[in-house]
Amino acid sequence: MATAEVSTQKTLKVQRFKPSDNPTNTFLTDEKGVWAWMTTVDHKKIGIMYLVSVAIFFAVGGALAILLRTELLTPAKTFIEADTYNQLFTLHGAIMVFFVLVPSIPAALGNFIMPMQLGAKDVAFPKLNLASFYIYVLGAIFTFIALAKNGLDTGWTFYTPYSTQSTSSVIWITMGVFILGFSSILTGTNFITTIHKMRAPGITWSKLPLNVWALYATSIIQVLATPVLAITVLLLTMEKWLGFGIFDPAIGGDPVLFQHFFWFYSHPAVYIMIVPGFGIISEVISTFSKKTVFGYWAIALSSLAIAFIGFLVWGHHMFTSGQSAVATTVFSFLTFLVGIPTGIKIFNWVTTLYKGSIKMDTPMLYVFIFLFLFSIGGFTGIMLGALSVNIHLHDTYYVVAHFHYVMMGGTLIALLAGLHYWWPKMTGKMYNETLAKISAVLIFVGFNVTFLPQFVMGAQGMPRRYYNYVDQFTSFHQTSTIGSYILGVGFLIILYYLMQSLFKGAKSPANPWNSRGLEWQATSPPDFHNFDHTPVIIHGPYDYHQPMEEFQLGLAVDTNGHDPESAKEIIDEERDQWKNYSLG
Amino acid sequence: MSEHNHHEHHVSTAGQLWAVGIALTILTGLTVGLAFVEIPAPFDIIVALTIAFGKAFLVAAFFMNLYWDTKFNSMLLVGALAFFILMVAITLLDTLYRVEVVPSF
Amino acid sequence: MANHSHAHPTHLQHHFVDSDQQFEASKMGMWVFIVNEILFFGGLFCAYIVFRAWYPELFTMAAKELSTVWGAVNTVVLIGSSLTVAMAIRSAQKNQKRGIEINLLITIALACVFLLIKYFEYTHKFHLGIFPGESLYTYEGIDHPLAHVFFSIYYMMTGIHALHIIVGIGLMIWIYIRARRNEFSSEYYTPVEITGLYWHLVDVIWIFLFPLLYLIE
Repeated sequence: MATAEVSTQKTLKVQRFKPSDNPTNTFLTDEKGVWAWMTTVDHKKIGIMYLVSVAIFFAVGGALAILLRTELLTPAKTFIEADTYNQLFTLHGAIMVFFVLVPSIPAALGNFIMPMQLGAKDVAFPKLNLASFYIYVLGAIFTFIALAKNGLDTGWTFYTPYSTQSTSSVIWITMGVFILGFSSILTGTNFITTIHKMRAPGITWSKLPLNVWALYATSIIQVLATPVLAITVLLLTMEKWLGFGIFDPAIGGDPVLFQHFFWFYSHPAVYIMIVPGFGIISEVISTFSKKTVFGYWAIALSSLAIAFIGFLVWGHHMFTSGQSAVATTVFSFLTFLVGIPTGIKIFNWVTTLYKGSIKMDTPMLYVFIFLFLFSIGGFTGIMLGALSVNIHLHDTYYVVAHFHYVMMGGTLIALLAGLHYWWPKMTGKMYNETLAKISAVLIFVGFNVTFLPQFVMGAQGMPRRYYNYVDQFTSFHQTSTIGSYILGVGFLIILYYLMQSLFKGAKSPANPWNSRGLEWQATSPPDFHNFDHTPVIIHGPYDYHQPMEEFQLGLAVDTNGHDPESAKEIIDEERDQWKNYSLG
Repeated sequence: MSEHNHHEHHVSTAGQLWAVGIALTILTGLTVGLAFVEIPAPFDIIVALTIAFGKAFLVAAFFMNLYWDTKFNSMLLVGALAFFILMVAITLLDTLYRVEVVPSF
Repeated sequence: MANHSHAHPTHLQHHFVDSDQQFEASKMGMWVFIVNEILFFGGLFCAYIVFRAWYPELFTMAAKELSTVWGAVNTVVLIGSSLTVAMAIRSAQKNQKRGIEINLLITIALACVFLLIKYFEYTHKFHLGIFPGESLYTYEGIDHPLAHVFFSIYYMMTGIHALHIIVGIGLMIWIYIRARRNEFSSEYYTPVEITGLYWHLVDVIWIFLFPLLYLIE
């Protein structure tokens, strides 16, 4: 048998396992039925359940956004009341942040892909994984109860003292967020342990896919920041319920302290949303350039650097809140630092493209959209971090545009890239490439038409969250509204062709993109245990200069009838053939 | 890779565990006793916290077995404390340096 | 599968290669969870520190209402329970089934003593009119306009800690039942170890709560 040195301590006997393009048993054919799905501990099924939930919440949040934009077509009332408007933008924000962006990439795509990239059969704590999902559902139920009762009109940030005085269902939502936080915490705990303890033989830290590095950094943030959110909303609940006097100035509390607590979570939470997106970009950009990622360690460690620096900058949300001048200055300086690791990533990705054999499939299209939109989001973020500029731009549409460029132009576009990239792996079906490209272009155009005007009107002084506006902003608002409709159409097309691919799509081979990633060496869709062997890794995940067969090794099965000689022969015979394949 | 060739888990002797328990009790007595002694303002908290950290160290190192465990688990604990300190320190940067201690709006 | 070629011990879950990986993963998972807990309580400690820095005199005055003696007794009770949990783990490592059971029962008993003392402390304060929250607080023995803030923090910190004690008792009863069923041995005692780590954490948090709340002059 062929042998491979996977560590200094032991030599493993390996043989090649070529994934079948026509698997008979997959995780979709095992454990069928609604009950089996609801009680499954399989990370792939849980990931898909998250994906469906996130998609539903995204549809709700998106519909709210369309309603908001439609109301803003005219300077005065268009068709909804001011109070309803307050509730709509609050819900749009709360749903998109807590129910879509935070769980979207780690819990949905990460759950599905990450254990496969590690060559593991499952995450370290599969039952805990299922529990996280149901905790997420429970949090959602609390939120819907709040909706059914009085709604919420505080904005997604729940600032005191308004949140302690508001007659809307603040307590229901804060309890919902509290519960949701546990889902996030448990997922993070699970992922960190999985990445440390569940790696297949040969996957050293330097051979870890960058997606896993990104999820690792994300999990660290989740574990460190989310508990603080939990205690904050608990204190806020107590403040409103019993009058604790910690946050409410009328009874001796300090509202700025609430903002400190809130942003200690919520600023790192921004990185919980964006860092997993970075991971997807790294994977896709390498696969579609057929080239090793430039600066592997720079990209891997800059994720950790972002995670760390992300904890030091929360006060830049509070420049006009009355915090001390000392803190303001320090926070402003630290904010600029975040630009460094982010810039490192962008430069390394662009350099990866250099002299690559670039194939502009849909996932790659989204990567380019990401690079463009996220760079704008990042630059405007640096501008907002500058104190004097911030005083002028604080709470204007400029801020709204900035974080939509980061959150939507960054996270959501990366999510779409990942979804299109791994869709064949998850479902075993190909989607309609033409429609996919059309919708990508629509989303790119619609996005910019929606949010570019918001930079301009924000700089001219249009405050965020306003129901009415002065006439001079009419044309900006109307352009923005039209853009949001284009965006909506783009997303509807995605929904259409993805559904179509599920039922009528062409069958996907095991590795349609010729990726070297370990997850592509499983069948599409994967086996119930991901691999029917224990994978052994000898090359890095982006070593496109190595032949494909060397990425398909697994621990040799002693009882399969092959003697060592014939197993070796299989590899040698097919070596040349695979070399051609991987180059072509 | 058999279940028999695992690393040896550390087994503390009963004597070790009792010694740690007794040390913790003595330190508790000490910190209570010092509370009745008049120590000038910042130092009373410093003394009380030093003893508390000493006790926490004993529990973490010998009851929670960190002393014999992989260093990564100790790193997790230290990391958590570091981020907690970061949170407090940066918050104090604001709350201690406000021009008006509590804004009266 | 290569790792299915020999018999698995019954406690080994299918997605782990061997017992050792399972044990190390479970323990590390618990440590990451402890990181969570530290940051969770960290928020409360941060509120405590901020308010104490603002109003040191409030803390000096209000802490006089707390009983140093009972706080100290509770500290010793928790230290004792930590010791017995450590002994329970030792018993498991040495295959002593009776030892696990007895040590767990003592731990549960000590945890109940802790809660009982806490209960008397709370009811005594309620009797005086010291309730959490400005709207319920009626005690007039402390001459400070923000006296209720101190007790809000006090109730929140000790209350959440007590909640952890209750969860811990539940966990230990579960472990006790499993020990009775002979599920633990020197080969497999992961749940005992994990519960022990949790219980020690609860002890450590109290080690800080005690001087910070009860021992302010």
